[in-house]
Amino acid sequence: MKRLAAIAALASIATATACGGAGTSDSAGGGVYTTIDGSKQINASAPINPFNPVGSVFSGYNGMALAWPKNDPIDPNQFYPALASSWTVAPDRSAVVIHLQPGARWSDGEPVTSDDVRVSIGLAYTQGGTAFALDPKAAGAAADVQVVDAKTIKVTQGANRSATFLSNLLQTVVVPAHVYGRLLPADFWRTLKTAQTGTGAAADQAKSRITGLAEKVIAFAPAHDVSAGPFVLERVNPGAALLRRNPYFFNGRAIAPDKVKLLNYTGNEQIWNYLISGQLDNAPFTSVPTAVMDRIEHASGNHVVKGYSPVSTAMAFDQARKPYDNVHVRRALAYLIDRSQVTRIASPEGGTPAATISGIHAKAARAWLGSSFDALEPYKVDPAKAAAELRAAGMTWRGGRWAMPDGSPWKVRISVPASFSDWVAAAKSISSQLVDHGIDASVVTAADYTLYLSELAAGKYDIGFWLVGLGPSPYNIFQRLFGQANGWQMFGGRLTHVPPGKDGNWMGGPQYVDAGPDGRVDPGALTAKLNFVSPQEQKRIVGVLAGIANRQVPVIQLWDYVNTQFVNTSRYTAFPPDDDQSLRLSSGVWMQLGMIKKRQS
Amino acid sequence: MTQTTRGRPRIGAIARKVAGHVVRGLVMIWVVATISFFIIREIPGNPVLGQYESLIQKGMSPDQAERATAVLYGFLPTGSLWQQYLGYMGSLLHLDLGRSLSTPGVEVTTLIGSAARWTVLPVLAGTLLSFLLGVTMGVYAAIKRSGKLGDMLALSGSLLHGVPVYVIGLLLTAIFATLWPILPSGGPVDVEFTPGLNPGYVGSLLQHAVLPVVTYTLASYGGWILAMKSNVVAVLGDDFILAAELRGMTRGIVFRYLARNAILPLFTILALSIGMLFGGSIFIEEIFNYPGLGLLLVNSISSRDYALMGGTFLVITIGIVVANIVADLLYTVIDPRVRSGGAA
Repeated sequence: MKRLAAIAALASIATATACGGAGTSDSAGGGVYTTIDGSKQINASAPINPFNPVGSVFSGYNGMALAWPKNDPIDPNQFYPALASSWTVAPDRSAVVIHLQPGARWSDGEPVTSDDVRVSIGLAYTQGGTAFALDPKAAGAAADVQVVDAKTIKVTQGANRSATFLSNLLQTVVVPAHVYGRLLPADFWRTLKTAQTGTGAAADQAKSRITGLAEKVIAFAPAHDVSAGPFVLERVNPGAALLRRNPYFFNGRAIAPDKVKLLNYTGNEQIWNYLISGQLDNAPFTSVPTAVMDRIEHASGNHVVKGYSPVSTAMAFDQARKPYDNVHVRRALAYLIDRSQVTRIASPEGGTPAATISGIHAKAARAWLGSSFDALEPYKVDPAKAAAELRAAGMTWRGGRWAMPDGSPWKVRISVPASFSDWVAAAKSISSQLVDHGIDASVVTAADYTLYLSELAAGKYDIGFWLVGLGPSPYNIFQRLFGQANGWQMFGGRLTHVPPGKDGNWMGGPQYVDAGPDGRVDPGALTAKLNFVSPQEQKRIVGVLAGIANRQVPVIQLWDYVNTQFVNTSRYTAFPPDDDQSLRLSSGVWMQLGMIKKRQS
Repeated sequence: MTQTTRGRPRIGAIARKVAGHVVRGLVMIWVVATISFFIIREIPGNPVLGQYESLIQKGMSPDQAERATAVLYGFLPTGSLWQQYLGYMGSLLHLDLGRSLSTPGVEVTTLIGSAARWTVLPVLAGTLLSFLLGVTMGVYAAIKRSGKLGDMLALSGSLLHGVPVYVIGLLLTAIFATLWPILPSGGPVDVEFTPGLNPGYVGSLLQHAVLPVVTYTLASYGGWILAMKSNVVAVLGDDFILAAELRGMTRGIVFRYLARNAILPLFTILALSIGMLFGGSIFIEEIFNYPGLGLLLVNSISSRDYALMGGTFLVITIGIVVANIVADLLYTVIDPRVRSGGAA
C-alpha cells in the first residue's frame, strides 16, 4: 500500500512536470513572444476595456491609439502613425484633421471608421482630463468633433489653446463604436455642447450627466475582445495574458509572432527571475541592482538596450521650514552632496549623475538651452563653498557640527518611501556624506508610497524625494517645480497661488523670485504660459525657469534616469537599437513599426 | 427530564448551542466590521494621488497619468463618516461589499471570490499536508525520543520552525526555478492551456502549485511536529497507556490510543488554521505571484482601496469565526469529556 502511494505521488509530480513546461513555449511559425507590461500589472478580474485603468487592454497589442509618441527630448508633438495614417494641424493650432489608415479593421472584420474615433472621444469626455475636459476654459480642451468622411475626422480646439493639444488628441485610445457606442446616450453630443458652451444650471446639469456616465464606462465589460491592434486577447488569468494575432490588422505582414504572452509580476524580483531564466523576449524599464544585472547579462541571448528617459530624481525642500527657507542653506547642501557617489550607490544601471540643477533631464536641457546649459552653476562638491553659504545663512559651527543661527541643533531629516529601495539607498548615501561634513543628518522612511505622498503633501517633511523633469512637454517639466506642489493652481483657466501648507503646497517657495537679468518673476505664471506660447517664447521661458531652478535650488537634482531595457535575441531579433525614439513604447508598437523578426535557425 | 424525552431535549440543547454560537459569531463579525471600517478610514493617504504618482514612476507622462486617474475621484467615498458607516452596514446586510477603487468598476465580492480560489489550493493543501506529516512524524519523534531518529525528527521540526517562510520560498525559487529550472517561478497556471479538466491545464495547475504548497508545508511542519511530540510524550505517561501495554495490546492499537488522545489539542489549532487560510499567506503569494487573498489585502492597503480592504478583513473575520464555531461543535463530538449533557 505504501509503495503504491509513493508510486502514485511520483507519477503525479512527473505528470505535472511533463504537462506544464516551465520555460517559454515556442510553437511553430511565428512562435510566442513573451514579455511583461511595464505600465500595469495584470488583473484577471478587470474588464477588457481601455477606459478601466487596470483593464485587460495592453497598449500596442490589443490597445490602439491614433498615434504613438516618439521619445523626443523637447517636442511632445512627435508621433509615429498608428490608426491615424497622417494628420494636419492648422497654423494657429485651432484644429487637427486626422486621416485614418485606409485598411484598418477590427478583429471581427468591421472597418475602423471616423465614427469609432468620435465615439472614443465621446467616451473620453466622460473620464475627464487633458484634451477632453468639460470646462471650456481648460487649456487644450477639444471644442468640436466633426466626421468629415468615413476615414477623416476634424477636431477643433477650444479658445484656450494649448501647445500639447495635438499630443493629447493623438494619444486617444480608439474603441469600436459597434461595441462601445451604446454607452453614450442618444443626446450625448447635444448634452456635451450644453456642458461646454451653456451657462448656469443647464450647463452644470449637462456636465454632471456626462461625468455621471464615467462609472458605467469604466465598468463596461465586453464579452470578448474586439481589437484594431496586431493582437487580440485570447485569455487572461492572474499569472499572464495570452494574445493571438489579429488576422485583420492593417499591417499584419509586419507582425512576426503568432502569439504574445504577457507575464504578470508582483514586484521587480519576479521580473529579474524571468530574465535570469531567459523567459522574456523583452522587459521594459526595470530597476536592477548590479549583482542581479550581472546574472541577467550572463543568461543566454540577453542584451541590454539603453535610451533616454525624461525623468530625474531630486531631493526637494519644504522652503517654508527653517532653515530651508534660506537659499544659502539649500545651495550649501547642493555643494556637499556628491551626486556621482549617490548615483553609483542608488541607481548604477538606470541613472547618470545630474550634471547640474536645472529641473530638466540633461539631454533635454542641452536641447532646450544649448550653450547656456554649461553656464549654469554645476554645484560640484566643494566644502569650502558650502561653508561660506552656511555662514551666509547665519548657521554656526559648534563642537564639530553645524548648528542653527540661534545655536540650537540642526537636524537634517530626509524622508523617503520604504518601498523604493533606490531612493532609500540614495538618502542613506546623502545622510552619510552630510554627517562627514558635520551635519546631523538621518533618513526617515514612510511605510508606503501612498502614505509618503500624503505626508509630503501635508507638509510633514523638511526634505523629501521627488521626481522632476517629466518631459518632453516643457509645461510638465516645470510644473513639478512651480506647479501645485509649490502653490500654483489652475482653476477654470485661471492661475492662483496658495500659501505654503495649504491645498497641497508643500514646497513652500515664494511666489516671486529674482530671475537675475529677467528681474522679478512669478515662476508659476511663466510655467503656465509654456502651454500656450510659441516655440521661440517657450525656449526663452525654459531658459528663465532653468536659471531660477539653478539659483534658487528648490530641489537638488540627483540623477537623470536611463531607460534600461532587456531583450533576448535567442528567439527574436531586430529589436530597436540604443537611443531609438521608440524605446519607451511597448514591443507591440515595435512590431507595428516593422521591428522584431523571428530568429532564423 | 424523564427517560422517555431524552432524545428531544438533546436535539434542543444542540440547537440552542448552535444558535448561541451563531448569534455570538454575528455579533463578533459586526464588531470587527465596525472597528475595521473606522480604522481603515483613518489610514492616511490619498489613493488617487498615490495612483497618479505611481503611474509617473512607471514612466507614464503626467497627461497620461491624469487621464488614467481623473475618473477615480468619482469612486472615493463621499458624505460624513457616519453616513458612510450606515451606508456600509446597509450594504453588508444585502451582502454587498461595494466596488473596488484599485480595480474600478468591479465588485469587491468578485475580486475576493477570484482571489479565494487561488488561496484555498496552496494554503489548504499546505495546511493539510503539513498537519498530516507533522502529526505522524511527531508521534514517531515522541516514541523514538531516546534514539537518533527521534532526535533528527525533533531537530528538523525545530529548524524549519525557526526559518521564516519567505526564506524557504526564496530558497526553493532559487533552486527549482532559476538554478535548475524545472518548476515555474510565478503565476497559478500557464495561460496557454485552455481552462478545464484537460491534462495540460490540470498538469500546469499542479506544477505551478508545487513550490507554494511545498513552501507552506515546510514552513508549518515544524510547529505541528513539535506540538505533537510534546502531546504524545505527555499522553505516554497516562495510566491508560500503561494499562493497555500491561494488557498485552498490540503496538498498533497502543499507537492509535496515543495518537487519538494526543491529537485533540492540535485539532482546535487545525480548525483555526483552516479558518485563517482566508487570510492567505502574504509572503508565499508575493514570492510566487500567486494571486490569493493575502496579496489582495496587501495591495488593497497600499492603494487605500477602502471597500476592498473592508471586504477582505470581513472575509478573514468570517472565516475565523466560522472555524471557531465548527471547532467548538466538533470538539464536543470527538471528545466525550467536553460533551455537554453527556454521561461524562
